[in-house]
Amino acid sequence: MQISDEIFADKVLKSEQPVLVDFWASWCPPCKMMQPLVDRLHDELTGTAEIVSINIDQNPQTAAEYKIAGVPTFVSFRNGQEVTRKTGALTENQLRKMIDTASEQNQAA
Amino acid sequence: MSESTACHNANQTCWSCPAVEFKGHVDFRACGQAAFRKAAEGQLVVECKRRPEIGYFDPTSITFEHCTEWKKTDSGYLLDGMRVLILGMDGYLGWPLALKLAKLGCKVYGIDNLLRRKLVSERGAQSVIPIETMENRVKAANEELGVEINFQEIDLMDRDALFAYIKEVQPESIVQFAEIPSAPYSMADVDKAVDTIQNNVVGTLGLLFGVRDHAPDASIIKLGTMGEYGSPLTGRPLFEGLFPGDAVLQYKGEEWSLGGELTPRDPVSFYHVSKVQGTFSVYEACKYWWLRSYDVMQGVIYGNHSDELAAHPSLATRFDIDEWWGTVVNRFVAQAVIGMPLTIYGSGNQLRGYITLKDAMQCITRLIAAPPEPGQYDVVNQVTDVMSVKQIAQTVATIGAEFGLDTEVQRIENPRVEAEEHPYEVIHDKLSENFGFASESSFEDEVRGMFEVLTKPEAVARIKEQESKLFPTTKWSGESAKLKVLETWKPEIKDKAA
Repeated sequence: MQISDEIFADKVLKSEQPVLVDFWASWCPPCKMMQPLVDRLHDELTGTAEIVSINIDQNPQTAAEYKIAGVPTFVSFRNGQEVTRKTGALTENQLRKMIDTASEQNQAA
Repeated sequence: MSESTACHNANQTCWSCPAVEFKGHVDFRACGQAAFRKAAEGQLVVECKRRPEIGYFDPTSITFEHCTEWKKTDSGYLLDGMRVLILGMDGYLGWPLALKLAKLGCKVYGIDNLLRRKLVSERGAQSVIPIETMENRVKAANEELGVEINFQEIDLMDRDALFAYIKEVQPESIVQFAEIPSAPYSMADVDKAVDTIQNNVVGTLGLLFGVRDHAPDASIIKLGTMGEYGSPLTGRPLFEGLFPGDAVLQYKGEEWSLGGELTPRDPVSFYHVSKVQGTFSVYEACKYWWLRSYDVMQGVIYGNHSDELAAHPSLATRFDIDEWWGTVVNRFVAQAVIGMPLTIYGSGNQLRGYITLKDAMQCITRLIAAPPEPGQYDVVNQVTDVMSVKQIAQTVATIGAEFGLDTEVQRIENPRVEAEEHPYEVIHDKLSENFGFASESSFEDEVRGMFEVLTKPEAVARIKEQESKLFPTTKWSGESAKLKVLETWKPEIKDKAA
């Protein structure tokens, strides 16, 4: 699910669920290859977590705000706060772990 | 959605279009890392080189479907009068592609140093189907098809001339076919190996600098080969150049994603090595300079038919059958025509991907029509059928029988160093799923078509003239002993139901 600079705050920061943001670019082969996996997780976790993708060239504001220096970068959010981030392609297990960690943040708070 | 009416590239935007110039603060980075851009510098906008009157606009706001410069064709939307530069226009593939693109409305330019004609001739062989000089072909294309094709005799290695031509033409797409394509030639001796690497690797490297400096928005369609991958004995599928996102490396209890990394290469001759090196050159150039490229891992090509080629004999493309310059299916048909046993190397169980000339031309056209985005490097496996050499021999013999030919098949000592028994799973989804490719050929029909052409007396005579060039003599080891015949048999031809 693709989002943009305009709706980033609404979709990510104001979400009641944990959110995993996939910062990607079309010139990045790992980003392109990870898209199907990210989409599949998005569909599977609808209701428990949000998984969104944002193209950094087409959305430079958000990319700059979160100081994205390499792609893909995955950043997890909970209650509008960044929880963890990782740069580089991730396995399915590693993505799920990021989402779980962000979920747990709510209970800790 | 109706698949038959929707073009594969209808929803691409100006982001991929070569006519667009990026303005504003796009900060092209190096080494696959994004530069940290200041948000204050404002929005990304582009200008259209073809329609400067639009001024600055958001590149994602107009699709190919809606842009007046992109016209609908049966190969997808094409830029009106798209300037395509074909390197190697005189070749087996280059010439049919030139005709097809010109017929579709592209402005076609091309270069060639005519080396292939020279090397085939030096070998004592020749194209079985007579071909005209480039000058006459261009004239015939104009007379028979009503198209204008621009050809210059330029050597890829002559960078001054090449760069000047690129600067003059301002291509919007460049097809790199200008390579020495023969595996056995590259193994024959050191000079030929060096020439192959020099032309293919250094030639491609020079081209990339030329594109950077004079036509950086052009897409580069680089002809690679399935042979880059080799045939791993583990049976690992041959992905399309890059590992899929769910490919995982597990080691000592840890795991890492391999998503997007280049898949392993295991080439099978110095020619194939040159293709692997070309892949790396192109991959790097896209990273460093924001060039855009499709790397085409093409299966073994065969056939001699396309609608444009068939329009007139003067438009024919070359058809080689000798050990160095002919590909296996083409050679087998020729051998059957003159009653020479089909020469299978080794067990004949070697599996490869194959594709007809006509299908290959459709694929390349569809790639040209849907350019990659700036900086994007992508790979497609251009294959329609996976077959063993034995299967091919059986089919050629069976269809040859329809022409009254009684064909023998021979297994000979393998001159190559390669696995003869191996799994071979080729992933080849992108061309059909992303580019709308649908095969218009069948193996049997293409072979039948070749028999129809090659059984004509003039063709038979031309094949007979080079009969001695059809039995291989070039061993990978460099030894010059004659290859032994291991087995000869007559394939069983099942009678077709009337």
